[in-house]
Amino acid sequence: MSAGDLGAAALRAALFLALWGTGAAAYAAWRRDARALVSARIAAGVGFGLVVVAALSMMFALATHDFTILYVAENNARETPTLYSIIGLWAALEGSILLWTAILAGATAYVAFRGTAAIPRLATTALVVMFAMLTFFLLLITTPAADPFVRLALAPENGNGPNALLQNHPLMALHPPLLYLGYVLTSVPFAYALSSLILGEGGDRWLVATRRFALVSWALLGVGIVAGAWWSYAVLGWGGYWAWDPVENAAIMPWLTATAYLHSVMVEEKRRLLRTWNLALVIATFALTILGTFLTRSGVVNSVHSFTQSAIGPLLLGYLVTILVLSVGLLLWRSGRLRDAGAIGAPLSREAIFLFQNVVFMAAMLTVLLGTLYPLIAEAVSGAQLSIGGPYFDRVEIPLGLALLFLMGVGPQLPWHGASRATLERQFTAPLACAAAGALAAVATGTTATAAVLTYALAAFVAATVVQEFARGIRARRALHAEGALIAFANLFRRSGRRYGGYVVHLGIVLVALAIATSQARTVDAEKTLAPGETLAIAGYTVRLSALRSVHEPQRDSVVADLEITGNGSGSQLHPALVQYPSSASAVGSPGVGAGIRDDLYTILAAYDQKALSWATIRMRVIPLVSWLWLGGAVVGVGAVIAALPAPRRRIARQLPLAEAPAPAK
Amino acid sequence: MKTRIVIAAAFLALAAALVLAARPHEPTADERVDRITAELRCPVCQGLSVKDSPSETARQMRDLVAERVREGKSDAEIEAEFRAAYGDWVLLSPPIASWSGLVWLAPLAAIAAGLLLATARVRGGAPINVAEPSAAQVAALRERVAREEAAEG
Repeated sequence: MSAGDLGAAALRAALFLALWGTGAAAYAAWRRDARALVSARIAAGVGFGLVVVAALSMMFALATHDFTILYVAENNARETPTLYSIIGLWAALEGSILLWTAILAGATAYVAFRGTAAIPRLATTALVVMFAMLTFFLLLITTPAADPFVRLALAPENGNGPNALLQNHPLMALHPPLLYLGYVLTSVPFAYALSSLILGEGGDRWLVATRRFALVSWALLGVGIVAGAWWSYAVLGWGGYWAWDPVENAAIMPWLTATAYLHSVMVEEKRRLLRTWNLALVIATFALTILGTFLTRSGVVNSVHSFTQSAIGPLLLGYLVTILVLSVGLLLWRSGRLRDAGAIGAPLSREAIFLFQNVVFMAAMLTVLLGTLYPLIAEAVSGAQLSIGGPYFDRVEIPLGLALLFLMGVGPQLPWHGASRATLERQFTAPLACAAAGALAAVATGTTATAAVLTYALAAFVAATVVQEFARGIRARRALHAEGALIAFANLFRRSGRRYGGYVVHLGIVLVALAIATSQARTVDAEKTLAPGETLAIAGYTVRLSALRSVHEPQRDSVVADLEITGNGSGSQLHPALVQYPSSASAVGSPGVGAGIRDDLYTILAAYDQKALSWATIRMRVIPLVSWLWLGGAVVGVGAVIAALPAPRRRIARQLPLAEAPAPAK
Repeated sequence: MKTRIVIAAAFLALAAALVLAARPHEPTADERVDRITAELRCPVCQGLSVKDSPSETARQMRDLVAERVREGKSDAEIEAEFRAAYGDWVLLSPPIASWSGLVWLAPLAAIAAGLLLATARVRGGAPINVAEPSAAQVAALRERVAREEAAEG
């Protein structure tokens, strides 16, 4: 039995188990039948195992170049290096959906075993939803349109090899799985939310049970997006990391609603408010992940990522419509039981800031959605061809982003219910002074773009609020427990990880904002055609073309420009190239990037003398602070881990009436 | 009083910085080329601007824009020339003065509606005066936290 047969059989068996599990879990939830629950659990566990077997057999078939399988023949070649063969699992549509299904099966198994043990009825109903979604994906993946194991009657001598862009950088091993994990894990909070609506629970048990899941999927989505930006920067060869491409938009939309949710959820926990709203946000986040998949996999929008198009579009659209109709219907049906227990506090209270922040996040998401869909709608309605690209999104999203930075500094500094004048002065004097210093520093270093100056001011403002919070927390612990400063610092994370981990996330976002503002406002370009030995000067760097040579590798042919970089204390070599894969019509640029903490020198081989290699056109960008973007993404990830780690014991201070008062005054 | 002075000085400095940054200055020819080409879509790319794209076509378009700038054409004239050649499609940011103005109106409408809804839910009026905890309350709280954390081990 070949790997292909094994994988195909495993998927079909898993489909049967998912159908069985849906029924068994539904019966278990309805009749509270323990034996049916055990049966559903077994179905979930074995089903997960089977989908993993299918994914592993596909990886095996790719690694062993088994061209009897159509997917392998289309996305692999004998020359493809082993790493890129294995990660070929997510190099095209069918394999991506297999990976997606495997993650979903894992999440289903988690709910079946861990979830139902914690809150039996709620989780068993959620399990029905998980099984139903898993059934859909297994149906999808066993239809001819998306079946990864379709066979070829006659195996070709060699395959086409993966898309050139997808075998050019090791980040391909990281970016898609992270993003898919983030996407798929949003289904767990969604399933619990739906379950809570089905059962008519007015409370927030669903939300407490899935808080960590929501945080983890949000973090994976965020880190996956930054990894994607990094990949795009390192591979696409234009010196940017974000182009408002439809697939990028599809990834950022659920991240925006998920971020809004992570904050408004605190309002529900503390104040028992915004119940309907939180359910709506969880539903929207999940629906946006499916919408993104539909948009980018059905070929309705063009994108660098639409490397495959297929007939699964209508199926995904049907799935999306079903989810929306069901969720919105349930939400309306149960809205009577979801009355809030009170009113939001004063405009200067933490919950009010969270609410305003939610409004800005929703506006940001709707703008991305509209901008992505508008060219489609315009063409369908009037036949007009128009473009909506970077300049449009920048004009709308940058002001919204600045508003969010501001609220990020204000929100955590305000108490619940409302703030007194004394509190405002105590919380904001130092941060305001820092904001002014940040703006002055920006102007002094020659920044002229207003948005960039504001970003520096707000970054300093937010950073100051975070430092102030840590300083007060440490001071309080030292006074109360006589701890050393470092021990107190570590204990803040250990005892109140969610709060202080959240501050670390905010610092990561500050780094990201600084990187974006600086790289957008202060990138310098130059372009020159050089003969070997000639030089080009840019922003204090001198670049010398020392040689132009052609390189042959089994899977590709390249022309490489050897550049010597001097100036600004650097003495390095960069090797931008144009790479020709047999499977692609035109050469793919492979930039040479000299990364630094102050700036990156980004070099592109734009053109060269094809006859005698006697000249090369080199395009160069000096991009300041861009590496802070990747660093910021990592800091966000670390902060999320701190926030997700369980505290040693639930904090006692929570039940104290004054727990929400700011740290004690001196 | 000292706090108030610091706050007032900070706001003044912020305003000064913003005014300094926004002071008008005559753009150089290169800045104009960058500004114009950033708005034009590279016809052979996936949504990249002429400014960003490393493609040959984009390079030629950049050269053309630079030439027009040297000839003394205004930004609007150059943009009109490209619109005549490629249609509105070539603009990455759709013109406001057409029915694609809707795409500009919608985000504004969304944020206005959202803020209205949110403000309606926020309790109106001046910020309430939440009493600061008294020294005795703080001491009692500290003592209680210390006691319970000691009990916790």
